Amino acid sequence: MSVETVVTADDLAEMVEQVWVSYLDPEGVSPLVMTGDDKQATEVHSTVSITGTWHGHLVYACSMQAAKKAAAAFLAMEQDEVGQEDISDVLGELANIVGGNVKAMLPAGCFLSLPTVVLAPETASYYPAAERISGLYGVWDAEPISISMWQSVKQEATA
Amino acid sequence: MKILIADDSRVMRQIVTRTLRQAGFDGHDLVEAADGAEAVEKATSEKPDLVISDWNMPEMTGIEVLRKLRADGNNVKFGFVTSECTEEMKSAAESAGSAFFIVKPFTAEQFDEVFSPILG
Repeated sequence: MSVETVVTADDLAEMVEQVWVSYLDPEGVSPLVMTGDDKQATEVHSTVSITGTWHGHLVYACSMQAAKKAAAAFLAMEQDEVGQEDISDVLGELANIVGGNVKAMLPAGCFLSLPTVVLAPETASYYPAAERISGLYGVWDAEPISISMWQSVKQEATA
Repeated sequence: MKILIADDSRVMRQIVTRTLRQAGFDGHDLVEAADGAEAVEKATSEKPDLVISDWNMPEMTGIEVLRKLRADGNNVKFGFVTSECTEEMKSAAESAGSAFFIVKPFTAEQFDEVFSPILG
């Protein structure tokens, strides 16, 4: 089954908007502005894997600056007080929240992994057995952010 | 009232704490657990009045924690705050004796609605 029939880019946008409203921009002053630029460079990658009736990954990616800003917003701290552990924790939670909401839209019988966070450029986050099937690409105060879904290629081949 | 907050994310434990405060539930004694096993241990040793638990945690999941507590005869009021929400999970939670199911991302208004009858 293609996940695109179950979770559309509009669905992803709605989930992400809720995250912004609840945690990252509760006052509505700096929303995530969609650009559609899927070539933008990102430095931090947070992934949750989904297994079961659907196999793939949900990846939250952004610049280090956007990661610091997110951690500061989550923790109600100044950006210069944010440490690497805070960034990993917040980025993991962001992927977990969106991944959990995605899972709720998939067929019953899916499992969500704990998040994995890599503070390294895009080349370090390579999913050899999966292909990107949908995504949101935007900027938050001029810093790049993307949320993408990757589906297991093997599952497609055997479907 | 003593409240145990169980979540493997320190950030999320802080956000739950902050959201409780924003929803007007100040002055409660808060205890934290960073995984499922610690949640069982603290739910037993600290004798909280309420457990607010994540679902997906290392060592033991939230539903395993709840089932373990009930199997041990511990009937503490227990509910979930989780990013995952499927009908099967809600149904498993209810069957195990969960009192509420809050989905992340959540707001102070949702906390107010769920916790007012419990925390007053």
